[in-house]
Amino acid sequence: MTISLDLAYHAPASLDETLEILSEQAGRTVLLAGGTDVVPSLRDDLISPNRIVDLKRVEGLGDLAVIDGALHVGCLVTFSDLIGSPAVHARLPVLAEMAGMVASVGIRNRATLVGNICSAVPSCDAGPLLLALGARVHLVSREGVRTVDVDDWFEGPRRTAIRSGEVVTHVTIPLPASGHGAAYARLSRTRGEDLAQACVAVVLEPGDRPRIAFGAVAPTPVRARRIEALLHAQGLDAGAIDAAVGLVAEEVAPITDVRATRRYRLAMCEVMLRRAVTAAAGRAAGDGPVHGTPLM
Amino acid sequence: MGHAVALKVNGESWSLEVEPAELLLEVLRSRVGIKSPKPGCERGDCGSCTVLLDGRSVRSCLVLAVEVDGHELTTVEGLGIDGLTELQQRMVELSSFQCGYCAPGIVLTATELLAVNPRPERHEVQAAMSGNLCRCTGYAPIIDAVLTAAATAAATTAPEV
Amino acid sequence: MVDHTFVGHSTPRIDGVEKITGAAPFTDDLDFGPDLLHAEVVASPHAHARILGIDTYLAEQVPGVVKVVTGKSFQSTFGLYLEDRHIFAQDRVRFVGEQVAAVIARTRTAAKRAARMVIVSYEVLPAVFDTDAALADGAVELHPDLADYGRVPWFHPRPGTNIAHWRKLRKGDVAAGLRDADLVLEDTYTVPRYAHAAIEPHAVVAELSVAGRLTVWSASQSPYTQRNLFAEALGLSHRDIRVVTPYVGGGFGGKAGVTMEIIGAALAMTVRGHPVKLHWSREQEFVNTYQRQGLRAHLTIGARRDGTITALQHTLHWDAGAYVEYGANVVNAAGISATGPYRIEHVQLDSLCVYTNLPPGGPYRGFGYSEFTFGLESHIDRLAHGLGIDPVEFRRRNAVVGGDELPYGAQMNPSGLLEAIDRAADAIDWGIEQPAPSPTVRVGKGIAAFWKAPAMPPNAGSAAFLKFNEDGSVNITVSGMEIGQGYLTAMAQIAAEVLSVPPDRIRVETPDTDRNAYEWQTVASHVTWGCGNAVLAAANQARDRILDTVHRALGHDVASLYLVDEQVRSTTDPDLALPLREFVVTGLEQPSDGTFKGGPVVASGSFMPEFTSTRSDPETGQGGKPNVHYTVGAAGLVLEVDVETGRIAVRTVALAVDAGTAINPVAIEGQIAGGVLQGLGTVLYEELRFDDGGRLLNPTLTDYKLPTASDIPDRVIPIIVEVDQPDGPFGARGVGEHTMIPIAPLVANAVEDAVGVRITSMPITAERLYLALTAEDG
Ligand code: FES
Ligand code: FES
Repeated sequence: MTISLDLAYHAPASLDETLEILSEQAGRTVLLAGGTDVVPSLRDDLISPNRIVDLKRVEGLGDLAVIDGALHVGCLVTFSDLIGSPAVHARLPVLAEMAGMVASVGIRNRATLVGNICSAVPSCDAGPLLLALGARVHLVSREGVRTVDVDDWFEGPRRTAIRSGEVVTHVTIPLPASGHGAAYARLSRTRGEDLAQACVAVVLEPGDRPRIAFGAVAPTPVRARRIEALLHAQGLDAGAIDAAVGLVAEEVAPITDVRATRRYRLAMCEVMLRRAVTAAAGRAAGDGPVHGTPLM
Repeated sequence: MGHAVALKVNGESWSLEVEPAELLLEVLRSRVGIKSPKPGCERGDCGSCTVLLDGRSVRSCLVLAVEVDGHELTTVEGLGIDGLTELQQRMVELSSFQCGYCAPGIVLTATELLAVNPRPERHEVQAAMSGNLCRCTGYAPIIDAVLTAAATAAATTAPEV
Repeated sequence: MVDHTFVGHSTPRIDGVEKITGAAPFTDDLDFGPDLLHAEVVASPHAHARILGIDTYLAEQVPGVVKVVTGKSFQSTFGLYLEDRHIFAQDRVRFVGEQVAAVIARTRTAAKRAARMVIVSYEVLPAVFDTDAALADGAVELHPDLADYGRVPWFHPRPGTNIAHWRKLRKGDVAAGLRDADLVLEDTYTVPRYAHAAIEPHAVVAELSVAGRLTVWSASQSPYTQRNLFAEALGLSHRDIRVVTPYVGGGFGGKAGVTMEIIGAALAMTVRGHPVKLHWSREQEFVNTYQRQGLRAHLTIGARRDGTITALQHTLHWDAGAYVEYGANVVNAAGISATGPYRIEHVQLDSLCVYTNLPPGGPYRGFGYSEFTFGLESHIDRLAHGLGIDPVEFRRRNAVVGGDELPYGAQMNPSGLLEAIDRAADAIDWGIEQPAPSPTVRVGKGIAAFWKAPAMPPNAGSAAFLKFNEDGSVNITVSGMEIGQGYLTAMAQIAAEVLSVPPDRIRVETPDTDRNAYEWQTVASHVTWGCGNAVLAAANQARDRILDTVHRALGHDVASLYLVDEQVRSTTDPDLALPLREFVVTGLEQPSDGTFKGGPVVASGSFMPEFTSTRSDPETGQGGKPNVHYTVGAAGLVLEVDVETGRIAVRTVALAVDAGTAINPVAIEGQIAGGVLQGLGTVLYEELRFDDGGRLLNPTLTDYKLPTASDIPDRVIPIIVEVDQPDGPFGARGVGEHTMIPIAPLVANAVEDAVGVRITSMPITAERLYLALTAEDG
C-alpha cells in the first residue's frame, strides 16, 4: 500500500542547514535517518508530516568512535555498523549482542541506534540497554547544544524529551571498566525476526552498583532501581538473585496485548533477569556465555 | 514536488523524477521496470522486496526513492549477467525454491551474507536468512544451498597445497 | 517396482532457473501501460450491519478518480458450492473488512485517498463470533435467504438457523460400541482460525475490451473455475472470457476458488476498454480472502483392553464465517473422513458448517483434515496411554488397510499406512529415551498418523494438450497451476517417460484458458493424479501417432516398435533408430515413392474419475463413493521444552507418506520439509485473533508470526512409502497437503510426553504452554 500524503523533502548537507530548515515556519517535520520506522508510519497514517528532513547527507553524523572513555554513536550509525565495529566488540560487546537481535539484517543495515530511541516505541531494543549503560543523548538546535541523560529521555510511548527544532546528533555511552560483565536478554515469539515481547539489559561493573533496565513491559524502558540496590547491597549469589527476582513485579508494569499477556511477560521478566544477571556475572568472571548466545 | 534522482541500477545509470512519497519498491517496479523485488508485506516484515543498496541488503518498501540519489542498487537481475552465480546454481540443483516468490530477496540476502562471511556456520546462515520469510520450502533446501555454495567457493579458491 | 527412466528419479525443477533469476512473472509483475487504472475497496468497519446509504460524491471529486462503484451495479449471487455471496455487499455487511464499494482511479494514491472519502452509513446489528453463539436459540440469523441459495445436491442447509450445511455419517450403533469399550474418553478440542500467508498477496488485473471480451490476469489456483464463476456472475459467455494465470507465489488453498478476483472482473465491466488492477495489501489479504476455519470438535472414543477401537463419535462445529460458498465443502469433507485412518465398527460423525460474523472461511492445505486431526490424533494418544498400550502399537492395531470397508461403505484403496507408522517411529528411535541437554529442559517424543482424500465434485475433470516441435522438443499446456509444488516438472516427467524425451526438453506452461485445456482446480492434492492421468493419456496418444506413422511409412509392425532415447526402435529390426526430431513435425518419407506419411504430432488427453458419486443418504451418509482414494502416512517428532519459559525447540521430525509412486522424489521431500514447517507454524506461533467486535487484531506479518529460518527443526527426515495407486499415473497419488496434517497433534503428543501436560487447544505457543505448566503446579 502506498503513501498517500503530500510531502516536501529536504536533504540538507550540513547541520547548520538542517537547523535552518527546522526553524523555518513551523511545519510538521519528521526527521529521517534509516526510515525503518518512519516509512511504515507514513504508510499507515500514524504520522502525517508535511515535510521530511533527511539527515543522511549531513557530514559527521555517522561517526562511531571511542572518545574520552565513551563510545560516540552518531545518529546515522546503524545496528549493522555496531555489529561490524571492532571497537564495539572489544570494548562494549553487549551493544553488538543487542544490535544482533534487532529485526533482520535488511532492517539492521538501515535502522539506526539513535532512530530506535527517537521513535521510542515501548518494545525498542536500544532503550533498556542504553539505560543500563548510562548513556547520554546529545541534541542541537539553533539555541545551542544540550545533553539529556537517557534516564530522562523516554517520556511515553513514542514520546521523548526532544523539543521542536532539535536534532539528536549522537549518543555517548561511557565505556564500562574492563572486567565488567553485561548481558541483553530478549523474549520473542519466534527465534527469527520479531519484536521483543519483553527484554532486559544488565550491566555489572566491579565495585559499582549494577545497572538493570527492562523493555516492553511499561510505556517506556524502565530502570529497575530497587533490584539494582538490592544486588548492590547483597552481591550476586544465588540468594541475592532470588531476592532480586522477587522484586520484578514491583519494577515493571506490563500490559496484555496481542503479543503476550501481562502474566507471561511478568513471569518471563523474572526468568530473563535471572539468566541475564547470571550471564553478565559469568562474563565478568571470564566464563560466561559467548555474546550473542540466546539466553531465552 | 518532484525531485531529480540519479542512481545506478545493476550498473546502469538512471535519472528519474520522483515524488517524496514514492517508495523505492514502487519506483523500481513501475518506473525502472525491474520486477524481481516483490511486495509481500510492504512494512518490512517479509524481505521479498530486498535489494542491495551499495552492496548491503535493504528493504525497498522501507526506503523512499528520493533517498537513493547518488547510490548504487543491485537486484537479482544484476547478479547473473554472465549466467548464474555459484549460489544460484546450487539453489537450482537443490530445488531450493517452490513458488519462487521469495527467491529474489533470499538470493540477495544470501549473496550479501557470503560476501561478508564467506564460510558461515549453519546457524549463521539461519540467522542471516531469518528476516526473509518463505512459506513454501521449510528453509532447509535454501540453507543447504548457501552452505554448499560457500563450501564450493572455498574449495575453488583454496590455495594449492 | 518397475524401473523407469524419468519417473521416480529426482529431477531439478524445470522452472528453477526462471525463479532463481527473478524472471518468473507473477501477476503483479505484468505491465499494462499508462492506461492501467487502479482500484481500492471501501471496507465495512462493522461485523454485522445494515447499509443505510452510500454517499460517493466526495470521493468522486478527488482528482484522478474515474468511477466509484457500489453493490447497486452487481446484484447477482455467486459461489463455488453454495451461492451465498455478492460481489459487493447489498443491504447488509457480515464481517469487518467486507467490500461495500470500490474506487477506480488513475493512480493507486488517488484510489486510496478517495476510498477514504466514500461515506457509508450503517445500522449496526447484533453479531455472533463463535459457533456456540451462532447456534444458540434466538441467535441473530446471518442469512435469512439461506433456503433460496443455489447449491450442490450434497449440501444440506438448515434454513432458519445459522447452519449452512450439516454432514452426517452413521455406521453401526455407537451407543452399543461405547458400551462394549473398556475405556471411553471424551473431550473437546479447539482450533483457531489461520491465515495462509502465502508471500505473494492476491492480485488481479481485468479488462473488458470495447468489443466485449473480458480478460482477467489473476494469481489463482483455479483459472477455469474462475472463468466459470465470472461467466455466471457477470452474465457473459465462457467463450468471451479469458483467464491468464502466470506463476502463483504460494497458494495453500488461499488462492483456490474465487475471492477478490471477482471484484476486479466486475470493476472492469464498468470501465470498458481499460485494464483495472486490484492488489491486496497484506492487511486486506488476511481479512478478505479465505481464512482457515476455526473448529470446536467434541470427541468420544471407546476402545477395548486389547486395543481395538469400538466406537467413535465426532461432532465438529466449524466457525465458517460470513460466507461459506467454498468453506462448506471443507466441512463436508471432514464429515466423511473424521474417523482418521482407522478401522472402526461404530461411527457417528456430525460436521456442521456454522455462519459467524468473521471473515469467510475456506480451504487451507489439508482441507479440514489438518483441523480435525489435531483433536483426533491427540485423543488416540490419550486412549493408548489410558489403556497402557504403546501409542505406536495402538495405531497399528487399528490402522486401515487396503480393501477395508470405509465408514460410508466404499472400499479403501491400497495403503502403506503400517509401513509408514513403523518407519516414522524407527526414524525417531521411538521407545528410546533421550537425555535432556540441561536441567530446565525436558525431552518428549510424539507420533501421529493421518489420511486425506481429495475433496472434489464427482465429475472434476483434467485435460492436456501436447505437441512436438521441429527439434523434437515438446510443449505441453495444462491448466493445473504451478503454485510451488513442482507440478510442471512432474507433468514433464510423466510425458518424458512415455515419449523418451527428457524433462528438460519439455516445456509445460501455466494456464491461459484460451490456449490451455480444461482443469477443474489445483486443489485437493489431485493434480499429480488427475492431470497426470490426462498428460499420460496425451503422451500415449502422441506415442501411438508416432508409432503409427513409422508403421505406415516403413511397414514395421506397431507392436514391435518402442521409444527410447528420443528415437523409435524396434524389437525385431535392430537397425531401426529413427530420431524423433527428424519426423515428428515434417513426417516420414516413404522409401517407395518419396511421399510423406505422418504430420505434426499433436495430442490431447482428458481424464475424469468415472467411478465417484456423491449420492448418499443425508441422514446416514451411507452410499456413493465420494472420494477417489486416500493418501496415508505417519510422522514422529522429538522436541525439547524449556520448562522455565514454555519455549519449544523441535529437534527431529520424520514424516512418512505413501505417494503410491513418487514421480519426483526431491519434490516430495520439498513438500515434506515445507509442510512440516507450515504445520509447526500453526501449532507453535500462528493464530488469527479478533477483538470482541470481530476486528482482526493481527492483520500483519509483524504480529501474525510465521516461522523463520531460525525456527526450523534440526532435522526433517522425509520417508517416501510407495504402495501403488492402481489408477494413478505410473501408480502415483498426491501428497502436497498431507505433510502438514499430522504436525499439530504430533507436537501436542510430544509435549505431553515431555512435561505431562495435555493441551487441547491450538496453538501451543510458549506462553500457552508456560501458563498450562504453572497452572498444573498451582
Ligand atoms: S515487502 Fe518489503 S519487507 Fe515485505
Ligand atoms: S518458495 Fe514460496 S515463498 Fe519461498
